[in-house]
Amino acid sequence: MTGILYHGQPNGPSFTVLAAAFEKGVDLDLRAIDLVAGERHSTALPHPLEVDQSIEGEGPVLVVDGVAMTDSVFLACYLDELGSGPAIRPADPYARWQMMAWCRYVIERVAPAAAALGNAAAPPLGVPAGIASADLEGRWKNAVEGKADDSQLADSRTKIVQAVEKVEAQLADGRDWLMGDFTIADLESHAWLAGMRGIVPEAFASAPLTDAWGARLRARPAVARALGLATIAHPETIWAPGPEINRWG
Amino acid sequence: MTDVTLYHWEPNANSGKPMLALFEKGVAFDSHYLDLLNFDQHKPDYLAVNPLGTIPAMKHGDLVLTESTAIMEYVDEAFDGPRLMPADPVDQWRTRWWMKFMDQWLAPSFSMIGWSVFVGPSVRQKDPAELEAAIDRIPMPERRVAWRKAINGAFSPEEMAESQRRVGLGIGYLEEALGQRLWLASDSYGLADINGFNLAYAIPLSQPHLCNDELTPNIMRWLRAIYARPATRACWALGRTDLARRISLLESEPA
Ligand SMILES: N[C@@H](CCC(=O)N[C@@H](CS)C(=O)NCC(=O)O)C(=O)O
Repeated sequence: MTGILYHGQPNGPSFTVLAAAFEKGVDLDLRAIDLVAGERHSTALPHPLEVDQSIEGEGPVLVVDGVAMTDSVFLACYLDELGSGPAIRPADPYARWQMMAWCRYVIERVAPAAAALGNAAAPPLGVPAGIASADLEGRWKNAVEGKADDSQLADSRTKIVQAVEKVEAQLADGRDWLMGDFTIADLESHAWLAGMRGIVPEAFASAPLTDAWGARLRARPAVARALGLATIAHPETIWAPGPEINRWG
Repeated sequence: MTDVTLYHWEPNANSGKPMLALFEKGVAFDSHYLDLLNFDQHKPDYLAVNPLGTIPAMKHGDLVLTESTAIMEYVDEAFDGPRLMPADPVDQWRTRWWMKFMDQWLAPSFSMIGWSVFVGPSVRQKDPAELEAAIDRIPMPERRVAWRKAINGAFSPEEMAESQRRVGLGIGYLEEALGQRLWLASDSYGLADINGFNLAYAIPLSQPHLCNDELTPNIMRWLRAIYARPATRACWALGRTDLARRISLLESEPA
């Protein structure tokens, strides 16, 4: 049975999952929804716990045989198992650990910062009805009302600067991709950093390796196809509330 | 001597995840106990292993690994022994979903409560100058804030209430999931259960009004089943404090 992928503009988590599906040659029934209008919370989608309490916030939902799955990195792992295209995870256990630890860093430190900055730059117009998670609803309210905490925004900019430094350092040995071979880590890093060029330009001021890596990534046919699904000129400027900024430490 | 060294604190939370995974796989390892309450994790010897100054970390030969959940996946893949990641791709997805949900939503709320009632009070009586110096050595700015709040009893009522709200909801979600399946993410015991047990083994003691035989029979069944496993017994035997000893509450018979 063909899975159904509900996705937003090819930015953030929707970008990762669309590109991973194309890389792997997995045939999906693609259904574009407006994440910024809150369509993910409509009754047209299934609402099990894993959709309503996804840590990722407004990310894509993949429904296969009645199971609704969320969280882009894990959806990409699932597509890697399923599809026939070249692997997008290393086979060696240590290299795979490196990829998962890298993705965890992006998920936990970079994505919340990017989502906070993206929403502050382009706030959604209203809080959609039907949000099951009170903390996600709180992030929507803050985004709509432009109530971003200055110290959090400043720290988020620092997080983006650090992330680009980390990418630059990782590529310093001349490798093409973050883990050596092309992997989900490349997709997930680009997913959250692409939109930061306009918002935190200083992070990219002297990052030639990151620039070249981004260009290489966008030249991949599967990535180009994912970006080609955009219905606006600059999908990387479109944001809906994402993962929360770590409240513990 | 083995070629695996694990740097850990009590079998509890993040430390306990790779510990229990190693025991389940039957992998012998050198245990390197760090006393979190003595700030061992911020001392130069350990920062040479994990510059972030958080526990656990693992060495396998020359390789160094951090991030407890990612370490568990590595342990499962790199060593022989029973598979702890389910074979079905949807079950693998569910395993990872639950681990992330616990690592990034539920566990931090338990931590805030635990640090405010246990960790903070346990170190507070030390010499203030010594404590200040210890905090200055913490590499991550976020953690310096958390330690200061724990020591000064300065978690705000709002953030404590939010943590308690999440704990209450999270217990409900666990009960619901365990009502649908034998184990948390699939029909076989695996990484999500190991992760979840480290988070939840003491909830019947710390949140008795929310988690007990009457209200959450599936959580209780699950905790007792994990406690009955030889690997769990062997793992918790490495505990040195009352924190790990809380596990004995699972010796009780179902009400
Ligand atoms: N994401 C890391 C977090 C590790 C972590 O924060 N460990 C705690 C103990 S459970 C710690 O080291 N706390 C002491 C400190 O931060 O000083 C993992 O899962 O390994």
